[in-house]
Amino acid sequence: MPSAKTLVCTCEDVTLAEVRRAFAEGYRDLESVKRYTGFGTGPCQGKSCLALVAGELLRLGATPAEVEPFTPRLPVDPVSLGRLAALDPGGLPLALEAPVAALPGGERGPRPGSPLPARADVVSVGGGIMGLALAWNLTRRGVRDVVVLERSYLNAGASGRNGGGVRAQWSTPTLIRLGQRSLALCAEFAVEMGINVWMRRGGYLFLAPTTEQAARLERNLRVHAENGLRTRLMSPSEAARIVPQLDPSRFLVAAWNPDDAVVFPWPFLWGYARRAEAVGAKVLTFTRVTGFERTGARLSAVVTDRGRIACETVVNAAGAWSKEVAALAGVALPNRPTRHEILVTEGTKPWLGPLVSVLGSGLYFSQSQRGEVVGGMGDPSEPEGIALGSTPRFLARFARAITLCAPATAGLRVVRSWAGCYDVTPDNNPILGAAGPPNFLQLSGFVGHGFMMAPAVAELMAGWMAGDPPDEIFTRFTLDRFQRQAAPAEDFVIG
Amino acid sequence: MPRLPDPRFAPDCTIRFDGERIPARAGESVAVALLAAGRAVLARSAKYHRPRGAFCLAGSCHACLARVDGLPSRRTCQVPCRPGLQVETQNAVLGASRDLLAAIDRLYPRGLDHHHLMTWNGLANRAAVAFSRKLAGAGTLPAEVQPVPPSPADERFDAVVVGAGPAGLGAAAALARQGRRILLAEAERAAGGRLRCAFDLPGDPPLTWAPEVERRVRAAGGELALEACVAGAWRDREEHVLLVAEQDPLRPPRLVRTRRVVLATGSSALPPLFPRNDLPGILAERGLAHALAEDGLVPGARAIVLGTSPEGSALAQRLARAGMDVRAAEAAVAVRGASRVSELVLAGGERLACDTVVWAGERAPASQLGRAMGAPARWLGGAGGWALAIRPTGETAVPGLFAAGEVTGGMTAAEAALSGERAGEAAGA
Repeated sequence: MPSAKTLVCTCEDVTLAEVRRAFAEGYRDLESVKRYTGFGTGPCQGKSCLALVAGELLRLGATPAEVEPFTPRLPVDPVSLGRLAALDPGGLPLALEAPVAALPGGERGPRPGSPLPARADVVSVGGGIMGLALAWNLTRRGVRDVVVLERSYLNAGASGRNGGGVRAQWSTPTLIRLGQRSLALCAEFAVEMGINVWMRRGGYLFLAPTTEQAARLERNLRVHAENGLRTRLMSPSEAARIVPQLDPSRFLVAAWNPDDAVVFPWPFLWGYARRAEAVGAKVLTFTRVTGFERTGARLSAVVTDRGRIACETVVNAAGAWSKEVAALAGVALPNRPTRHEILVTEGTKPWLGPLVSVLGSGLYFSQSQRGEVVGGMGDPSEPEGIALGSTPRFLARFARAITLCAPATAGLRVVRSWAGCYDVTPDNNPILGAAGPPNFLQLSGFVGHGFMMAPAVAELMAGWMAGDPPDEIFTRFTLDRFQRQAAPAEDFVIG
Repeated sequence: MPRLPDPRFAPDCTIRFDGERIPARAGESVAVALLAAGRAVLARSAKYHRPRGAFCLAGSCHACLARVDGLPSRRTCQVPCRPGLQVETQNAVLGASRDLLAAIDRLYPRGLDHHHLMTWNGLANRAAVAFSRKLAGAGTLPAEVQPVPPSPADERFDAVVVGAGPAGLGAAAALARQGRRILLAEAERAAGGRLRCAFDLPGDPPLTWAPEVERRVRAAGGELALEACVAGAWRDREEHVLLVAEQDPLRPPRLVRTRRVVLATGSSALPPLFPRNDLPGILAERGLAHALAEDGLVPGARAIVLGTSPEGSALAQRLARAGMDVRAAEAAVAVRGASRVSELVLAGGERLACDTVVWAGERAPASQLGRAMGAPARWLGGAGGWALAIRPTGETAVPGLFAAGEVTGGMTAAEAALSGERAGEAAGA
């Protein structure tokens, strides 16, 4: 006889007890409970469980604002990639877009339980992985009076919307070094921070469909070898031994680094937040920054929709919102937030080891710990601006691209699609260090690689803020580089 | 007696379930054929490898997934039988009824905290990650997939009605009366919705109303699309663009443009909330009533109808007439059973033997599509879910989007038909 569990989500085997435990641990709003327990993320997409869990949360004492239904993700009913590939993306303009409710927060949103402190040494605007990893690293360096402000729930922004790739295969020594450090930190994360992140080193497999792209891989190979990466170039038939489902006629050469990895993004934020809070930092969700106060040239306080916090240093770690936040301090960033869509299929038993990325097309896909194919694809016609709606154009483009690359995926059904925003800079490199007011530090401008870079960059940033000599990234990637001269651009961002 | 002794319900073909021959009627759902053959367990669950089988029999709960003709995780309650169909269980070692990995469920009786599992040591953690990856995912990637032909050019209709239950039929009738050319999209294999359940409650429109509406829709140049699910909807200025995907996995999806949409997507069964509420043999009343009426399915020998709805009482009488030993219970605290429910436990501790529990409890509005289209929803209280908010005319706050029937809150079939009429009137004006 099966044990006496009461299930709320039969797709993902989530029990009533798990929902209660999540609530007791402070995950009170429906979006957070969904992510923490996994309910509603299976093929039924909440048709059976959403109402049950909402009812239980209300019984446990959640407020109605905490129990707003999560955005239904498209497709509402699973549709296979093979069938979506039958749609003509040419007839689907980007303007066809699903409406999305504003991120929970603001006047009628959930209210955080803890009060706003009157002052702090450091305030991070943004509670994505950058701000949270920075807060935790600062506490380790003895700076414990840190406040992280998040406008919505943890994982509401790009940190909770990305595909979870972490790689060292970059085209410049700096990013290779940061990637290697992040991989090492990710590998230790579960034990060090006490929460699983399901890291799996299946490698990254870059496919070059043209001679031009093949030349890029060859150029990179030299840099990789000089910097200690085990990257290998391989023929299509050799690559097809790693992923037998690939159509070898679709590319000329592949580059593979077996040490690259995929992780599950959400628990990184919970892990950093919980550990930072345990030693005195404050993570305040559903708190929106509306302005800054100045004393002379310096910022003296952060103003939020719940009151003000006087502080010594402000860090702009707002991701796609970094340009908006900088503008509140009178600083103009050249960043252009740009939507990037992504989807997930039903789960199947393991068949795909590496994250596969097709150069030039923007297509990438991997298989998650739960067996789902997770993948995205950039769209050159995507305009600048923060947008979180899903489009049928993306579903059709992605489905066409992946079923050409790996034809067997045509039988997999898409269960959910969503969007996040890249924080695109003119040279695809981040913006770090002070900009404008001397105590207004930038930690932004990551072009789809913010998540994977955060563990390493936040560690360096915390060290620098605590008095270490600055790493070269804090002198090279400053805002004023755009006034000096055209810096060499990073050409290996994907998607 | 697995089926009513009526020649209409006599099996006329054979499907294979893990190689075994199962008698079936062509056109009935795989889940119903397997229930009629006494096969309630179709798979093992994702994490704990608990027995899984059909619950809602209406395409919403996804508990009845199996590999069908090489494609993983198909909803067997939505796949029609045809001779030679191959059905295979998923996620089980040594078969779904005695899966070795069910030990996981017993090892972790209070649940498995996946966040903190084996985080005390690097080696243990790496082993846990590697092992759990092997366990994850139901089914396997299809070996080869037949190509899907390109989608047809965008189609245009004066209006689209989503769902052909009483509310959708009401809306379609009103629209056809106004001469509108409409697409009436129904996810199931026939129109009628809960009218197909043959509850025959006072005021219920007769099922013959469905073909009558279909005739009127066709006379106005419209179409009834069966096994057609609206999987997505977007706005292009004044128009709604709907992605219509039929059940057949090889049919290309259709893109349909229209200025008026009436959502009559009805409601979904919610499982009861007590220990072992996921045991096979617990069936939602509407799904079972429908299978009894159309396929003659008699799911076992002893049923307990749990809940107090008029539909539940009507079904109890029909199950009794079909020869089942039927009891009613208002509420329960648990069920017991090895791989299928064998006892219902009442609040006082009394145990009632059964092989089937008919769950006639709460349902939730199927408001996902409406909410995905931006329509505001209101919480119904209890665990009743979110209903689309409408004005008396059936209009939602989204231009050109109307809603009717149970997607706007619980109501009788007669009330749903009336609300559909109103929404159809307004949408066609």
